[in-house]
Amino acid sequence: MKKNMSFSVLAASVVLAMGANAAFAAKVPAGVQLAAKQELTRNNGSEPESLDPALAESVGANNIARDLFEALTAADNDGRIVPGLAESWKQTDPTTWVFTLRKNAKWSDGVQVTADDVVYGIRRFLDPKTASPYASTYGAFLLNGVEAAEGKKALTDIGIKAINKLTVEVKTPYPVAFLPEVMSNNQLGPAPRHAIEKHGKDWTKPGKLVGNGAFVLKDWAVNSKIVIEKNPQYWDAKAVVLSKVTYLPIEDGFADVKLYQSGENDWVYQLPPGTYEKYKAELPKDVRNSPMLGLRYYSLNAKDPVMKDKRVRQALSMVIDRDILAAKITADGQLPAYSVVVKGTAGADATTYDWAKWPMAQRVAEAKKLLAAAGLQAGSKIKFTYNTSEYHKKMAIFAASEWKTKLGLNTELENMEFKVLLKKRHDGEYQIARNGWVADYNDATTFLTLVQCGSDQNDNGNCNPKAEELIKQGNQAKDAAKRKQLLTQATKMIMDDYPIIPLLSYTTPRLVKPYVGGYTGKNSLDRYRNKDLYIIKH
Amino acid sequence: MWSYAFRRVLMTIPTLLLVITVCYLMLHATPGGPFDSERKISAAVMANLQAKYHLDLPLWQQYLYYLKSLLQGDLGASFRYADWSVNDLVANALPISALIGGTALLLSVVIGIVLGTIAALRQNSLVDYFVMLIGNLGSAFPSFVIGPVLILVFAIWLAWLPAGGWNDYKIHYMVLPIALLTFINVSTIGRVMRGSLIEVMNSNFIRTAKAKGLPMRTIVMRHALKPALMPVISVVGPIAISTITGAVVTESVFSLPGLGKLIINGASNRDYTLVLGLVVLVTVVAVLINLLVDLCYALLDPKIRY
Amino acid sequence: MFSRSKQSDLAGAIEANINAAAIEGRSPWRDARERFFRNKAAVVSLVILTIIAFACIFGPMVLPYSYEDTDWNAMSLPPGMEGAHYFGTDELGRDLLVRCLIGGRISLMVGLLATIASVTIGIVWGATAGFMGGKVDTIMMRIVDMMYAVPYLLIAILMVTLLGREFYLVVLTITVFSWMDMARVVRGQTLSIKSKEFVEAAHAIGVSTPNIIFRHIVPNLLGIVVIYTTVTVPGVILTESVLSFLGLGVQEPMTSWGVLIEDGTGVMETTPWILLFPAAMLSITLYCANYIGDGLRDALDPKDR
Repeated sequence: MKKNMSFSVLAASVVLAMGANAAFAAKVPAGVQLAAKQELTRNNGSEPESLDPALAESVGANNIARDLFEALTAADNDGRIVPGLAESWKQTDPTTWVFTLRKNAKWSDGVQVTADDVVYGIRRFLDPKTASPYASTYGAFLLNGVEAAEGKKALTDIGIKAINKLTVEVKTPYPVAFLPEVMSNNQLGPAPRHAIEKHGKDWTKPGKLVGNGAFVLKDWAVNSKIVIEKNPQYWDAKAVVLSKVTYLPIEDGFADVKLYQSGENDWVYQLPPGTYEKYKAELPKDVRNSPMLGLRYYSLNAKDPVMKDKRVRQALSMVIDRDILAAKITADGQLPAYSVVVKGTAGADATTYDWAKWPMAQRVAEAKKLLAAAGLQAGSKIKFTYNTSEYHKKMAIFAASEWKTKLGLNTELENMEFKVLLKKRHDGEYQIARNGWVADYNDATTFLTLVQCGSDQNDNGNCNPKAEELIKQGNQAKDAAKRKQLLTQATKMIMDDYPIIPLLSYTTPRLVKPYVGGYTGKNSLDRYRNKDLYIIKH
Repeated sequence: MWSYAFRRVLMTIPTLLLVITVCYLMLHATPGGPFDSERKISAAVMANLQAKYHLDLPLWQQYLYYLKSLLQGDLGASFRYADWSVNDLVANALPISALIGGTALLLSVVIGIVLGTIAALRQNSLVDYFVMLIGNLGSAFPSFVIGPVLILVFAIWLAWLPAGGWNDYKIHYMVLPIALLTFINVSTIGRVMRGSLIEVMNSNFIRTAKAKGLPMRTIVMRHALKPALMPVISVVGPIAISTITGAVVTESVFSLPGLGKLIINGASNRDYTLVLGLVVLVTVVAVLINLLVDLCYALLDPKIRY
Repeated sequence: MFSRSKQSDLAGAIEANINAAAIEGRSPWRDARERFFRNKAAVVSLVILTIIAFACIFGPMVLPYSYEDTDWNAMSLPPGMEGAHYFGTDELGRDLLVRCLIGGRISLMVGLLATIASVTIGIVWGATAGFMGGKVDTIMMRIVDMMYAVPYLLIAILMVTLLGREFYLVVLTITVFSWMDMARVVRGQTLSIKSKEFVEAAHAIGVSTPNIIFRHIVPNLLGIVVIYTTVTVPGVILTESVLSFLGLGVQEPMTSWGVLIEDGTGVMETTPWILLFPAAMLSITLYCANYIGDGLRDALDPKDR
């Protein structure tokens, strides 16, 4: 391992991975008595659109895919990257990585998982015929990945190669220091070619689905439940404690909580708005709330005649009291945010504004000056667009009230159905719009896509070429500290343009039964795999 | 009458064609496509997806494509639930909705008619006020309020029944949804029955019968009930269509995997094929139920001929 | 009044129609009004409903709070005299009483207009289809069948996209969703009435079709129409909240009873008054509508004359 020390982050992550590997089996703390029945029912928030890891897009579908399949690396419940299908990896040059697969990794039908399965899985994921919605997001980390997804290059040109039966080589288009993190996503994992070719598009159905994860698919009743059971063929089966997990697809928050209270559910996906304080008082041991890498923000349309003035954008952002918003309005433990990069994200620091620490009166006075300079009179009308939901509505009324009482601006609230909002936002037909983002991987670049020039995720229409240059330099940097410094600097530059109003960073306010062990609250992407969970005797 | 029924069944085909065409155009005119999500998909990937689902073809070609597969009994692949065909989804959800909706319908027709009759015969008595109270509660407190209350009382406080979910047709999972649907429908059917019977009881021929000294029982059963049932049957038609093809709110409150859930998710996901498939199903059900209603008219009033 | 000694249906019915025609000169509306005001329940209901309507119109002008003023220090206050929040406040510290009254404006207006519109369409459509029969009936009723199948979500989204968010569109959309039931009910009754002798008689003496429909059939439908209208009202008022969810209808901070009830449902375990006050106002209104309906039915009943 020592020879890789030149790439310091890397070495650190490899060492970490090795260390975690050693400590693997002992994840149930000493002294904890396990229940005789190791069965868990957890609500997953929605019906998965697919169990095919290449097609999984929603958080829910990816949760299940992580149990049924295992990528080269994996994230444990503390959020650390640990070995998955690959037992070790190393970076052989800035853009080349070599992953060594386990000899004892098998598909659930007993067939060995080989390097070819990984190559097949990744090529299949990026194949235009597969049309995976994540193709350009994760494909961007592989040499020629995006080009292949767009049909401009052959699948064989993608930077993935089987060196031998148990070794794959990954080539990246630029030095991607956090590649092991990216490779923990199942989209970039192996796929069971033999099963897919045998069953065709029905291959994800119970009885047909072949996976290499800790669990196998037992039953799938659409909109009702998905049952998975421990996979005896899994290489680390002896460390898997749960014997059966039932995923529920319940969207309605009230129904979710009531099923929890009546004992039919062990895991509330998300507490409905306005109930957090109540359950914190009633069920203090059950309420779990930990930070998550996600951002609630408002997009300001830089092409709008009013919003194109930076002073207006800054004034609007300055007067919103995030502390009151977090403490009183959403009141579910979410944290005030002042940057596009959420606090705790790797790869860049969350920036802040100087005025964030000012007293509100000073902020308002400054904001009024800015508005006056921009020529926007008190009594002017602005339009805020959001999609209907209790949560968004409360926040919108709060923001409108802040703008009205502090700046004298009259906000017209315009709510609409979700897809209509998406269309308006993507088409730039709005003035101020609700927006939100959950990190795909733990690195600042996932958030920076929201404000980068020409990015698909940039609904604001802003562009700061200087910051863009810094990000590019950062991504080319081989030194992690240097990269972090450049990306942070770029973030600061972009935020000083006020393309968005960052409001709150996500937490996961939910109920989990106290007897569910292994729920650490430390997985900042909220990806708790069932492999690490267990039921305590109760 | 049978030839009339046969002609009516045949009418399903042009009705279907029209309704599919209208909904097809509406779906494509509705802003937001099936693959729009919070994470915007890059143009190239979007093109891949559209090609995969034939959305890259001109609209009329897609339409013909859909009709062709429909003729073969294939409702197509769901856009949202990539692993399932619309046929699979509908086949799973229909029996659940039909069982829960059908049972609730049967119960509410019986209870509604009985309560309505009692209330009408004792107009402005305590029984009447009670029935009106129930009826009004069922309307003033919509199912999205009553459903949660039922869950609170029976699943949380008393802990008699599950709070929701579906478990392979086990009866105790069906009790609360059926109760809720019945309650809501009884309020409508009961009130229509009450009003209709009062109306009939005030009519000349009943007064005549009363004057003749016929016993009340005979008057009601022999003479009043049949004409009073006419509007009730008319009302039951639409109720039957909506309960059997998926009671949206009930299914959401009790987390049931029925058709109502599919139609809401289908429409909000812009799952074109799923929505069209359900539209086809609902149209067929609507035509058949309304045919049944019309045949019932003829039974109740022999003078009605088609 | 002529004596009612004749016993046959035919005679009774013809007589009723002759009466109707004869009374016309002596203001049938006055008779109806007199009959209506003799019905105590109906009169009391009318008074209550008038009070509610007046409160909704003038209350917000008198009360110290505005429906849109938030107060971060008075969130979810229970009802009480304190701070003059008689109904308490909602989750954003807005006075619930004034919001219930403002919401009542919208709901009463929508309820009134959309009910009138859908009932009118339903009567005309149903009576025409039922009376004409044959191909006309088939086509008109298959259109009704179709309307049950078209997902309302799509109609609502399309309406707001293509036409905007005007108030009349709310009424229009609700009407589009709600006229079919009335049409089916009316058609069913028409089928039955048209086979009655007096209609056949009118036909035989050459009365024109529209005349038969509106002079002879529709008056005999009024009883059932009034009953079914009282069933329609709550549906119409609550549909408005579904539409506002889809972006059609009222927009925050403006509100309606349906929206208030829906918001209150989410917090009914912690702050039940946020649900109970608007629900109580809606249900009192519906009770009143029912009794007024009953009274109207009795007052307008042609057989009673």
